Amino acid sequence: MEFLVKFASAFMGVFQLGGEQFMGWVTGIIPTILMLLVMMNAIIALIGDQRIEAIAKVCTSNPLLRYLVLPWVSAFMLGNPMALSMGKFMPEFYKPSYYASASYHCHTNSGIFPHINPAEILIYLGIANGVTQLGLDATPLALRYMLVGFIANFISGFATDFTTAFVEKQQGVKLSRTLKTHH
Amino acid sequence: MAEYRAIKVEKGSGGFGGPLTIQGTEQKNKVMYITGGGVAPEILDKIVELSGLEPVNGFKTTCPEDQIALVIIDCGGTLRCGLYPKKRIPTININPVGKAGPLAQYIVEDIYVSGVKDENISLADGSAPVAAAPAEAPAEEKKEYKKISEQMAESGNANLMAKIGLGAGKVVATFNQAARDAVQTCINTLLPFMAFVSMLIGIINGTGFGDAFSKLLQPLLGNVVGLLVLGIICSIPGLSALLGPGAVISQILGGIFGAEIAAGHISPSLALVGLFALNCHAACDFIPVGLGLAEAETETVEVGVVSVMYSRFITSWIRVLLAFVFSIGMYA
Repeated sequence: MEFLVKFASAFMGVFQLGGEQFMGWVTGIIPTILMLLVMMNAIIALIGDQRIEAIAKVCTSNPLLRYLVLPWVSAFMLGNPMALSMGKFMPEFYKPSYYASASYHCHTNSGIFPHINPAEILIYLGIANGVTQLGLDATPLALRYMLVGFIANFISGFATDFTTAFVEKQQGVKLSRTLKTHH
Repeated sequence: MAEYRAIKVEKGSGGFGGPLTIQGTEQKNKVMYITGGGVAPEILDKIVELSGLEPVNGFKTTCPEDQIALVIIDCGGTLRCGLYPKKRIPTININPVGKAGPLAQYIVEDIYVSGVKDENISLADGSAPVAAAPAEAPAEEKKEYKKISEQMAESGNANLMAKIGLGAGKVVATFNQAARDAVQTCINTLLPFMAFVSMLIGIINGTGFGDAFSKLLQPLLGNVVGLLVLGIICSIPGLSALLGPGAVISQILGGIFGAEIAAGHISPSLALVGLFALNCHAACDFIPVGLGLAEAETETVEVGVVSVMYSRFITSWIRVLLAFVFSIGMYA
């Protein structure tokens, strides 16, 4: 009998621990995220999707605009996954590189702009919450995540130019380097 | 010339949506599968055999949307499960996932069915209506709503007070809709995931398994070299695509990593390095779909899937080391 009681309380203990973790996240994370989401959703609705397309067309000309400015603006304005659709303004050859950068931008900005990728935000929040529980401020982490992301995502996008050229040779195809004019 | 037969697909146990009736035509004659990093799902054979549709591996290549009669995915409930329903392309999810993710609003019974297994697929006997062709998207209700208020604004004889009232009303409505979307996001994606990972953490910590587990992970998560190795391993081409779906694995590791920081097993100064190391393989499972969103041509998708996986692998160590360098002075 004693054994059964012990077993039952250990069994319940597992779910109590899980519940505590859940409550910690719900009360510590959800309220702030919710307010941020409301504000960001409203800003994006007021600015409108169309304007970003105008920016996209300008941004295809050089690597810095292609893999740093445009992916960030697209992620901020359109979120995951629609930010990836801005690659349609690139010549075919640069589309994989844009994807490589933009998909990372849907993660590295999560600390400050959670509206970009709320479905996958627990990567950041899980770690940030651990830091907060130690009594430390998570803001430096969020800021550094974004800033290092700028550099790292640019490198990842630019490096893809070279791997694409390599794979092109492997598969014996040549992708267009210029933007097609017809729509 | 192949003969196309209508098939009926019902939801499996725990599934959602359906039943769908799929009828191939000469133009719409392809079934595209985007599953398991390019591994054909079990149900594919039966679908091809019964329907006469031609299978297309979405990881290897792509085909114009107007040729796709059916899409098979294995999404865990974040993105893909809503993308094709949004385009009104009939979608089978082999995972039992219902309305979830940022595109949950598009996941409806007449275009989406999940949890599907072999036994849920049969020849249609004609009783169910044929699934709507994805040619025409349904009219958006929101648009009409806007039009009414715009018409009022344009009707000319609106005086200043009415204009201010309409403007304020529009802003309020925008914020209200923003709030509604935000709450939906929390309910549809954030809370379920938190509950799931919380339970895992409860089991890990409550069973005493946690201590053993942290000792096991300590050499990997507890120092820069281990994290660097983890980042490189996770981004190995091919493996990276398998680890990707829904960022589930990254999110679990993130939750565990944070719990370990809180418990004092891992130094908070490693938090930034962890963020980059746990997510080197980000979006490797999503390449064909993402390039599809960018309206890439077939060859571009074929080259791009391999190319992005290579570049993820090549740059993973750079990302982790950059994070390490820029961690200097943080939580020291």
